[in-house]
Amino acid sequence: MIRWILKGMLRDKSRSLFPFLVVAVGVALTVGLLGFMDGVFMGMIDMTAKLDTGHIRFVNKPFYEEEHLLPMDRALAGQKKTLAWLREHGDPRIQWSPRIRWGAIMDIPDEEGNTLSQTPVIGMAVQLLDPQSPERKRLQLEQSVIKGKIPSRSKQILVGYQLAETLKLTIGDTATLMGQTFDGGLATDNYTVSGFIRFGVAAMDKKMVLIDLGDAQQTFYMENMVTDWLGFLPRSVAYGDYEKIKQRIEQGLAALIKNPPEDWASDDEPIVLSILDQRNLGEIIKKFELIRGIIVMIFSFLMVLVLWNAGLINGIHRYGEMGLRLAMGETHKALMASLALEAFAVGLAGAMAGCLVGGTVVYFLQEVGVDMGDAMAQSGLMVNDVVRGRLSVEGFIRGIVPGMTASVAGSLIASLAIFQRSEANLFRELETG
Amino acid sequence: MLKIQNVSKVYRVGGQDFIALHNINLEIEDGAFMSFVGPSGSGKTTLLNLIGGLDSPTSGEVVFNGFHLNEMSRDQLAVLRRENIGFIFQSYNLLPVYSVYENILFPLLLNKQKESQVRDKVMALVEKVGLSAEANKKPAELSGGQCQRVAIARALVKDPLLVLADEPTANLDVENSHHILEMMRTLNQETQAAFIFSTHDEKVTRFVNREVALEDGYVKSDKVKQPNGELI
Repeated sequence: MIRWILKGMLRDKSRSLFPFLVVAVGVALTVGLLGFMDGVFMGMIDMTAKLDTGHIRFVNKPFYEEEHLLPMDRALAGQKKTLAWLREHGDPRIQWSPRIRWGAIMDIPDEEGNTLSQTPVIGMAVQLLDPQSPERKRLQLEQSVIKGKIPSRSKQILVGYQLAETLKLTIGDTATLMGQTFDGGLATDNYTVSGFIRFGVAAMDKKMVLIDLGDAQQTFYMENMVTDWLGFLPRSVAYGDYEKIKQRIEQGLAALIKNPPEDWASDDEPIVLSILDQRNLGEIIKKFELIRGIIVMIFSFLMVLVLWNAGLINGIHRYGEMGLRLAMGETHKALMASLALEAFAVGLAGAMAGCLVGGTVVYFLQEVGVDMGDAMAQSGLMVNDVVRGRLSVEGFIRGIVPGMTASVAGSLIASLAIFQRSEANLFRELETG
Repeated sequence: MLKIQNVSKVYRVGGQDFIALHNINLEIEDGAFMSFVGPSGSGKTTLLNLIGGLDSPTSGEVVFNGFHLNEMSRDQLAVLRRENIGFIFQSYNLLPVYSVYENILFPLLLNKQKESQVRDKVMALVEKVGLSAEANKKPAELSGGQCQRVAIARALVKDPLLVLADEPTANLDVENSHHILEMMRTLNQETQAAFIFSTHDEKVTRFVNREVALEDGYVKSDKVKQPNGELI
């Protein structure tokens, strides 16, 4: 019987082609749009995590509360012991990276030592000098340094390329950093510009510099201290799981605070944050998911609406067949089931075609991306200039399920008239038809 | 096989009651070959619908092969029709996207039979109605007479006890009508399935063994063919 039904569907294009096209277009749009949105959004999360917050962040609470002031005196000491504790109590999938956030005035002197130009900069100190450092890969330094090279020895600095243009820097220039030491004194140190870096985020390209962690500890008198421990999780871990991972670390934290490493200050009180707790990303994600849900609903509703009407037209077209089948002894339920089966088959074929088209578009966007650097130039968002789509199994499911549901629902709603009508009426209409 | 006892059917039309059948009493034996005749509006199709379980009487009772149709659910009636009753329509109502063979096969698929098991049976019937050469053709490629032969084969393929034919010759010319009626009479004798026609075609009268005339919902006459061929 199933073969008989499918045969009829393939032969009668009017009952299969239009619903197929509607589902295919609807699913392609859903998969394409959601894939692009996911890509942009997850790109923003990845970028924020890499450059700023990590997926999980272990930070001293007093530092975090006044983060905008970069209070170096509230950094956490006991670097090695803290790392050992994090490795023992954190999720084994987390890679921990120590960082120092700092701020300073960057002065560019001429040959005689007079100031040529000067600007405040935001700095990040990461493990740069070790060629095996995961930070070099994480920050994609090989690809991001657009001129010069990654620091290979102490006291070298990477400068955001737009900042370098503003200050008219050349490779090998000296840059003097003037900031505050850990204990409130004046810190000054000379660095050599080793390269210009393109972070891909306009705000950072204009303001940010990178130095090695060890250099920062020396310059700011922060031996064995860091301001942040950033934890990075593999891509396979969904952001919905970050909270659970954070809570597991928190469970052991009270014991650590009671019995802290001896280098810690007496009022140090580290806290664990997930990326969703920072930069308002949790709220943004909720809104993003809401918008994504609304988009899926709108496309599903439109598909149901169109397929319902297509089903009605098809129902009129096949009224004779329905009446005949009821007269010949097919039950209403069996008739509806066969219509649902047809709709399911059409929905499946349409959804597959839609996935193929939508998936191809998303794959292109994922591999090539769209350069929106000009549009983002004035934005402070941590979004890469090249926005990319993201192909994922979930993205396909979000397209396929509504597409197939819409196909079956549209067909069944349209068939309700047949279900409710008595055989005698169908039979009469069959004869007059 | 079939008892129609005190059956009346009232339709509500435009806020008023329209009595389609008045207190009909009939008894129809196994293997009958008979017709309901009468002008349009006389109640022929309504009576066929009641016999076929497609509609229910306002009062009275239809008993088919021991089953009281009034007491059966919609699904039970569907099963009864599926297994025991074949239908032939004035406008053939063949499924246009399926071939002759597939149209005839369909009632057996509804009865959950596998095509591989019934292929020979269907082909034998295709041959019996003289359409072997057209077995793979679609209805649009057939003449009216050929279409009605497909419809007859479709009605008979499940070996029903009863075939209900609503104006089966109305769309056919004299020659084709003659052939179709001859074929149905032959099949009636071979299969012992009862045939009941509704018709206002006088040509049919010559072929049937019994003729019930209806007028304004009443049985006007009930004639049985005598040995001399006359209906009295």
